[in-house]
Amino acid sequence: MESSSSLSFLLTVPLMGALISLLVPKASQRLYAIFGSVLFLGLTVYETASLLFCKSAEEAARLAIEHRLDWVPDLGLSLSLRLDSVSVWFVVLNALVAVLAFSTRGIWYRKSPGLFTGLGFFLLFALNAAFLSNDLIAFYLAYESVFIPMIFMVGIWGVRQKAASVFRFFLMSFFGSILMLVSIFYLVREGAVSGAGYSSHLSDLIRVASGLGPERSAWVFLGFFLAFAIKVPLVPFHGWLKDVYTNAPVPATIWMSAILSKLGVFGMIRFVVPMFQGVILEHQAVLLSLAAISVVYAAFLAIRSSSPKTLLAYSSISHLGFVMMGVFSMKQAGASAAILLSAGHTLASGLLFFLLAQVEERQEGLDLNTAHGLAGRYPVLFTTMFLAVLASVSLPGTMNFAGEFLVLLEAYPSSALWTAVAGAGVVLGAVYMLRFYQQLGLGSPGSSGNGASGSAEAAGTGDLSGLDLILVIGLMGMILAGGFQTAIFLKGN
Amino acid sequence: MIAFEPWMMLVVSVLIFCIGLFGLIVRKNLLVMLMCVELMLNGANLSFVAFSKMHQLIEGHLSVLFVMTVAAAESAVGLGLVIALFRTLRTVDSDQIQLLRD
Amino acid sequence: MLITLLVFLPLFGFLVNGAIALGSKADSKHPPAVLTGAIATLAMAGSFVLALVLNAKLRALGGEPMAIEESLFSWIRLGTHSVDFGFRFDRLSAAFTLVITGVGSLIHLYSIGYMSHDSGVARYFAYLNLFCFMMLNLVLGQTLPHVFLGWEGVGLASYLLIGFWFRDGEKVRAGQKAFVMNRIGDLGFLLAMFVGFHAVGTLDAVALGQSVMAPKLAMLFGVLIFLACTGKSAQLPLFTWLPDAMAGPTPVSALIHAATMVTSGVYLLARLQPVIAGSPATIALIGGVGAATALIAAILACFQSDIKKILAYSTISQLGFMFAACGVGAFESGVFHVMTHAFFKALLFLGAGSVIHALSGNQDIFRMGGLRKSLPFTFWTFSAGWAAILGLPPFSGFFSKDEIIHDALVSRHGSLVLSGVLLFSALLTAFYMTRLYVLVFFGDSRLSAKEKAHVHESPFVMTIPLMVLAGASLAGGWFGAPVELASYEKAVRAPASAHTLVMVLSVAAALIGAFVARARYSRNTDSEPVLDPFRIDRFYGQVFGRGVYRLSDAIGRVLEETLVQGFLRGTAAIVDLSGNLIRTVQTGSAQTYLLMMVLAVAAVVSWIFFGVTGYGKF
Repeated sequence: MESSSSLSFLLTVPLMGALISLLVPKASQRLYAIFGSVLFLGLTVYETASLLFCKSAEEAARLAIEHRLDWVPDLGLSLSLRLDSVSVWFVVLNALVAVLAFSTRGIWYRKSPGLFTGLGFFLLFALNAAFLSNDLIAFYLAYESVFIPMIFMVGIWGVRQKAASVFRFFLMSFFGSILMLVSIFYLVREGAVSGAGYSSHLSDLIRVASGLGPERSAWVFLGFFLAFAIKVPLVPFHGWLKDVYTNAPVPATIWMSAILSKLGVFGMIRFVVPMFQGVILEHQAVLLSLAAISVVYAAFLAIRSSSPKTLLAYSSISHLGFVMMGVFSMKQAGASAAILLSAGHTLASGLLFFLLAQVEERQEGLDLNTAHGLAGRYPVLFTTMFLAVLASVSLPGTMNFAGEFLVLLEAYPSSALWTAVAGAGVVLGAVYMLRFYQQLGLGSPGSSGNGASGSAEAAGTGDLSGLDLILVIGLMGMILAGGFQTAIFLKGN
Repeated sequence: MIAFEPWMMLVVSVLIFCIGLFGLIVRKNLLVMLMCVELMLNGANLSFVAFSKMHQLIEGHLSVLFVMTVAAAESAVGLGLVIALFRTLRTVDSDQIQLLRD
Repeated sequence: MLITLLVFLPLFGFLVNGAIALGSKADSKHPPAVLTGAIATLAMAGSFVLALVLNAKLRALGGEPMAIEESLFSWIRLGTHSVDFGFRFDRLSAAFTLVITGVGSLIHLYSIGYMSHDSGVARYFAYLNLFCFMMLNLVLGQTLPHVFLGWEGVGLASYLLIGFWFRDGEKVRAGQKAFVMNRIGDLGFLLAMFVGFHAVGTLDAVALGQSVMAPKLAMLFGVLIFLACTGKSAQLPLFTWLPDAMAGPTPVSALIHAATMVTSGVYLLARLQPVIAGSPATIALIGGVGAATALIAAILACFQSDIKKILAYSTISQLGFMFAACGVGAFESGVFHVMTHAFFKALLFLGAGSVIHALSGNQDIFRMGGLRKSLPFTFWTFSAGWAAILGLPPFSGFFSKDEIIHDALVSRHGSLVLSGVLLFSALLTAFYMTRLYVLVFFGDSRLSAKEKAHVHESPFVMTIPLMVLAGASLAGGWFGAPVELASYEKAVRAPASAHTLVMVLSVAAALIGAFVARARYSRNTDSEPVLDPFRIDRFYGQVFGRGVYRLSDAIGRVLEETLVQGFLRGTAAIVDLSGNLIRTVQTGSAQTYLLMMVLAVAAVVSWIFFGVTGYGKF
């Protein structure tokens, strides 16, 4: 693999995809988007295969690529990109999620589809840029540009109070971002004041941050922490999430839950943890408690949700709480486990939202307080959904189990109490996910409610089949394969 | 009889400029407003000439020629816009034209 | 490769039957039970044969510790420690594997007859095979995470099979209850693994079992493991899911909720036995909980009228016996009872299934009676099961139950109270089982006319397993405990007279219970109300079931809506408000803007001239 070619490839191809989508006729936009994203996924895996599947940390370190691009040479600012054993996972997942999101069906392929695919490919580009950047200012730019397509997608194809929800989403995220920007500027300036010249490269800023002293570094840390805690999100910074997940069009929801949330995880692992080890270790109990409370709190919210989409949104918060426990365990193995669990969550939650959309296509007005009994009518769809539910409750054998197990194992020495609290999320997860599945699939239609929804059957949609089925089976295969072949994720240990 | 001094020209130019500005703010008719803009430009021109005379420099005259050219072009475009506006909105009252507000 | 093949044969059956189930359209004719059943049964029988071969190999192996190991691949890497995905076949695993595959094959065979009328038969056999696959992983897994894979997997299969008739919301909820209560136990398992790993640095089941931990950690580890066992093996306080689990098809109750899955707690304790037994507090807890469960479940069984519910409570009670045995350090007696119990309880359940099958779904023992004549095979085989659970010599239950009561009396950890409680539970066992036996098979028939016309003996595919199991229930105890877990010295050797005394007492207790029941129920066949004297299930329903939802509501309303969303709404409102305020300046009139611009320029100019540089500079 040529050093910089694969980096520029990961960035330019999605941009080209966005441009080409302007030329594609309306009717074939979906085909183009799916084909393009599958192709990009294939190429991404091909380009990164040696790094992806290598088994030892030494080999991974040898294969890591870093490329530095001069940006404002007068100020010493450069854009630096890095593809290593951490970012490679996020890049691959990003390409995968794009396939899943583009494979949905709905209004976005009828009302200005060209804009949708264009925004989608631009999102792919922006996310890749964020995952690849090894430089805080470059990261900030990419991180912010992720908002743009997201806001347009929710604003154009969303439902109900989409404007209000997207406004809150923007407000909270931007609030965090601004604090992060201030922190970044502060660090860059500190570096310049100390005589090293302007640089926002991670390695330079790590040095700057370590020389700050406990008081100041705690404040700078807070800026970063809030930005990512809102992005992930951790309770109590999750207020924006429910409405925007629920009102967004399905592909946007898939993108947000499956990969945008990982942006926060990535930021924590890549930037915050190396820069602020001292601060995090000092306040580890608080951070772990936040993560554990997220797990339990969101699980409780999920238990009572009447909308299946809201339930999945809360379950997403709950699972990301586990991921953050891994990050805050402050161990190499914990971080690897967090990546493993992130990958599992990306696949499982992406799949669940995708399948839920498939169910909604077949029956409108899903409400978890009524039994719908759809499994008998669509056995294949609900079998796959059940498997996704199992991954989501992290049954052993899935990636999610391996991740959750390792995360808790690594967090245990730091705080047995909060590990046990987070563990309670395992039980609650079974409660709400089974409720989700049972109310949609099992029981007899209308047996425990007013029965109004049972009769409305969408015409002309049969069981899951064709490309959708292949995609779903592929993702399930990945969840299982990753659940057993964990070594490729854990090479960092 | 008071001898002509260049600063007197400056007073006249300021006066013309201020009349133009005042008219621009107060008058509601777009055509009149355009004329006021022309007045302001000419006020500025006059001051260029005055200073050119005061400092014995040719650049002032050059600027005047330049401004006059631009002003001619501007009034052509401006009049065109006013006509286009009148065609669509049937009015040239600036208070009625608030498309950007909402 | 043999162990791998043994474990993966049922998985193969699961995949084939699962594909058949998904492939067949709901409205078309369902695949015949014989075909799908044969695939599943053959897969299990193949495993059984392999288990026999492996057992012979193991015995030929000699040496200590005897085990055949097969590691497949590295599953999870923890620093330098690798958790392998692999199997270990030793004496303890062998005993369980033989029971699972042996009894499992018979129940698969039986199911072909029992489920022949059901349209979901392919799905049924797929689930049943899946269960066996997971169960084999549980008992053969080398490491605790691998055991946990099986542990959760059997819970999953149990969930699927309890809610097998998924159009019935009640049954589905019973499945959910089982899964969730099991998960509470599983949390204990997870935490125990963390404690164990950080104390010892390994997750290998045997190594961890024989490790030495600090007393406090050992206690914590043991208690957490036992919490896992109370979930899976339906002990106090997590036992209430098992009676509800009877919503599943009867062969499932026989296989999962009597013979195999519910005994996995005993397996786990026996597997980790040295470290568990090393903590006196843990072991006392296990013994106490076991005996209490044995007693309470036996009492509850006396008040039921549903034939399967009686057997379910009986299972809980018998599991209590096994845990009591573990709790006095007599792990091998516990395992011994697991084995004999698997035979006779599977037999009893299958017999009950045969009765239910004959009566087209009637499960109320007060509406049966006199079935001795019309169901001769079922009656005779059920009699063997009845004698075995009562502990009448020479049936298998006699040997194992006698062992347990004896150990409870003479062991270092035992006591007179413990053995007394167990003895009384044995008496109650005899009472409720004889009550059931008499009401179902003796006296006058109380069937409805329609049932009377329909009643028929089950086909051979169902009676053959009954007969085999009857033989096993008779002879299963003659050869003594299947494993010796010698590493822990269990008892202060007691005089032989104690053994005789216990033997006499337990047989006497069984006879007393049986005679009382016979005296009462041979004449008095009026329906008795189902009583729930302890109201444990209702208590859980109120406190935890509804409590969780209430808490969820409270969190949703108070914390989420008021605080989090309120804060967010407030912030949004402030931004909105300030936006609106500033917006009033934007009148849309170009001239206003112009005026403002002029004023601003004037202000700036005057500031420059008079503010910064002072008046009179020019």
